[in-house]
Amino acid sequence: MKPEEYQRQTPEGGTPIVSDHPVYLRDPVLDATVRMVVELAAQVWVDRERLLTIESLLDELGVVTREAIEHYHPSAARQTAMKAERDRFVNDVFKELRRIDPIA
Amino acid sequence: MSTTTAVPETLPPVAQRSDASYLDFVEGFRAFLLGPGADFEKRLNRAASAEAERRGQPLANIEEIKPFFESLPLTALRDRLVRTQQEMKWHKVAQSFGMKREELLAELSAYDSRGPGKLELDPSFERAPYANVHFHLQPGGYHKDELGGFHYHYGTKVFFRGENDRDGVQSKLVSISPLPADGKVTRILDMACSVGQSTTAWKQRCPDAEVIGIDHSESMLRVAHRRAVMHGVDVTFSQRFAEDTRYPDGHFDMVFAFILFHELPVRIIGEVVREAARVLRPGGVFTIYDFATSKTMSPYQLYHRYFDARHNGEPYSQDFCDYDLTGALEAAGFDVRTTPPGGGSGGAGTTQGWFATRRSAS
Repeated sequence: MKPEEYQRQTPEGGTPIVSDHPVYLRDPVLDATVRMVVELAAQVWVDRERLLTIESLLDELGVVTREAIEHYHPSAARQTAMKAERDRFVNDVFKELRRIDPIA
Repeated sequence: MSTTTAVPETLPPVAQRSDASYLDFVEGFRAFLLGPGADFEKRLNRAASAEAERRGQPLANIEEIKPFFESLPLTALRDRLVRTQQEMKWHKVAQSFGMKREELLAELSAYDSRGPGKLELDPSFERAPYANVHFHLQPGGYHKDELGGFHYHYGTKVFFRGENDRDGVQSKLVSISPLPADGKVTRILDMACSVGQSTTAWKQRCPDAEVIGIDHSESMLRVAHRRAVMHGVDVTFSQRFAEDTRYPDGHFDMVFAFILFHELPVRIIGEVVREAARVLRPGGVFTIYDFATSKTMSPYQLYHRYFDARHNGEPYSQDFCDYDLTGALEAAGFDVRTTPPGGGSGGAGTTQGWFATRRSAS
């Protein structure tokens, strides 16, 4: 989808929608920095998930191939454990948000 | 990733494992931002209470809440993060399915004419300008990308925090929806059915009924039909507008609309209500699940609703939450029962149900 498609929307009334790249912080550099931090966190999680998958395969099969990693289907119990690990990861990275006093 | 359930997997996998784990991160990050993890809701509501105390009167409406919240650095950071996770989701979904574009389009073509059930597309269908919106920031909205149905299905899996890939949300709502008092259910209409999860849930609940799902989006309907065929469920998907279904008067016993109304301009909301009244027989039930009315919202929820409208591609949602849907239904000839707000809508808002029974003409 071409970026200019966003500008071609035709809502009928309602709340006006923002432009394609809104700025929320004091300047666009801060916005970009925050976006990069979140993107980096996502990429770290991608690597960690892959590492955990490799460890599971080694435990279960004793051998790892690229194809086995790609098609690995964890058990329901393993999936639940992975979700918990993901939530711990997100909490560890972003817990600072809880420490900001809204009216400081 | 598979689970032990026997329900067939209809949501295609993304192109590579790293894309699935990226989207899994977004799902967890979204839950953290909008839930107790980041704890924005409780803290910003406390800030609003403190401000109300300072002013000696509550922040009465969004016009007062918005400038106050926007003056807080924490809100700006929250808004940046909420917008970012939504952009990340759609970027990755579109990028990953884009890598499989030809494969997925060929699969849709293979299912289009397969049964059970059927797919009715209208080659002369004229789109409504009001629907040309990138709802929830989905690139191309509901109809401009041929893979839009797949994008939506995966996107809502993330939106509903993983509860949607096995149709859990729709199945639950259908299971608790009231049937007509006389128990007669011959035909059911699922308005704006998107990828057809509630449509098939209705057929499974009422197997002897004819069940039809309508939507304006061809890409949604094709994915809906493919999904129903994979489930072996005999339903019809047809390209029609909810405000102009072209079905006969009194044709249906049940009409169902799940999270449709907040994506319609107020003008069209009225038309859809009147159309539902027209196609329902007396005693038939119009069941609606959608965003809760703003009268029940906390300052944070009111702010989030405004933010969602302006910054998350939901231009009609704020007007809908301020709209008197119950009054419109009563004026169109329904007796209305509502449920208290509850349950998440995937964001800070809550949803509620309207169960509207068509009065007889007398």
